Amino acid sequence: MAFDALSDVSDEALLVAFGNGDRQAASMLTLRLTPRVMGFAARMLHGDRAEAEDVTQEAMLRLWKIAPDWRQGEAQVTTWLYRVTANLCTDRLRKRRGVDLDSVPEPADDAPGAEARMIRADRAQALQTALDALPERQRMAVTLRHLEGLTNPEIAVAMEISVEAVESLTARGKRALAAGLASQREELGYGDD
Amino acid sequence: MEMTDHDRLTDSELDALFDAGRDAAPVPSEALMVRIMADAEAEITRREGPRAPARRRGPFAGFLAGLGGWPALAGLATATVAGVWLGFSAPDSLNSLAGGLLLPDSATTATRYDLEDIVPGYGGLAALYEEG
Repeated sequence: MAFDALSDVSDEALLVAFGNGDRQAASMLTLRLTPRVMGFAARMLHGDRAEAEDVTQEAMLRLWKIAPDWRQGEAQVTTWLYRVTANLCTDRLRKRRGVDLDSVPEPADDAPGAEARMIRADRAQALQTALDALPERQRMAVTLRHLEGLTNPEIAVAMEISVEAVESLTARGKRALAAGLASQREELGYGDD
Repeated sequence: MEMTDHDRLTDSELDALFDAGRDAAPVPSEALMVRIMADAEAEITRREGPRAPARRRGPFAGFLAGLGGWPALAGLATATVAGVWLGFSAPDSLNSLAGGLLLPDSATTATRYDLEDIVPGYGGLAALYEEG
């Protein structure tokens, strides 16, 4: 099967193909899913890239291992993967707690570019810092909803909670972000109007 | 104290932050992608491949397994004994060993191949046997 032809195939079909020994399906799944897992893990782990890469590799390894036993139609591959990643991140954060709680990596200081780009980078960094300050479950729900683009029912499956609980977590998380970031309105380029 | 609009970002301001956050999502390194694909490959190999030996074999066991195990060793012993017998019986011609199959009309043509014709290096030893 040509590589292009696989781009329209669902994650689940690719996973089943991989379970039957299809190497090309593994490549496609890697390209498709790794960036999503990595993005989510990095948000959860306070932007720690190395640790996020470890978690991503582990989550994908678990996907490879479950492939032959995957029961079609029972779960979405992405939702399953987010759940595994969420649990791996929670474990890491638990181990880390009390050891290096404040070791949030400093953002790389880029050479000054266009002002708009800087504001964008500042906004992304300010958002990460504000997310880091949220309780873990709120950070998880807000990240999945507003950065990873999952629906509330999908988040409910990934976090193993009810949809109502997801709504509550995202609402509280968003309120806390809005309040926490208000003092930086100027720096974020919103100005006073 | 009542929160005013100024004490928190508006929804659209927050959405712009999420938008910037999505753009700045960390991209997995090439090395990570390679490691993940290697894991997938290893997993396929593990599933398809033969079962790995349960424990490491010693040198003799390895040698034995290389030959084909104990049954092969019995065959090897038989072959060794047969070799020794052949050596002692020292056929003076290969034809007699082959029961006349190699040269079926040797009786009429009186053509004989001595062992040294086939294996020249064997000539000296064959001569020794022939001469007594």
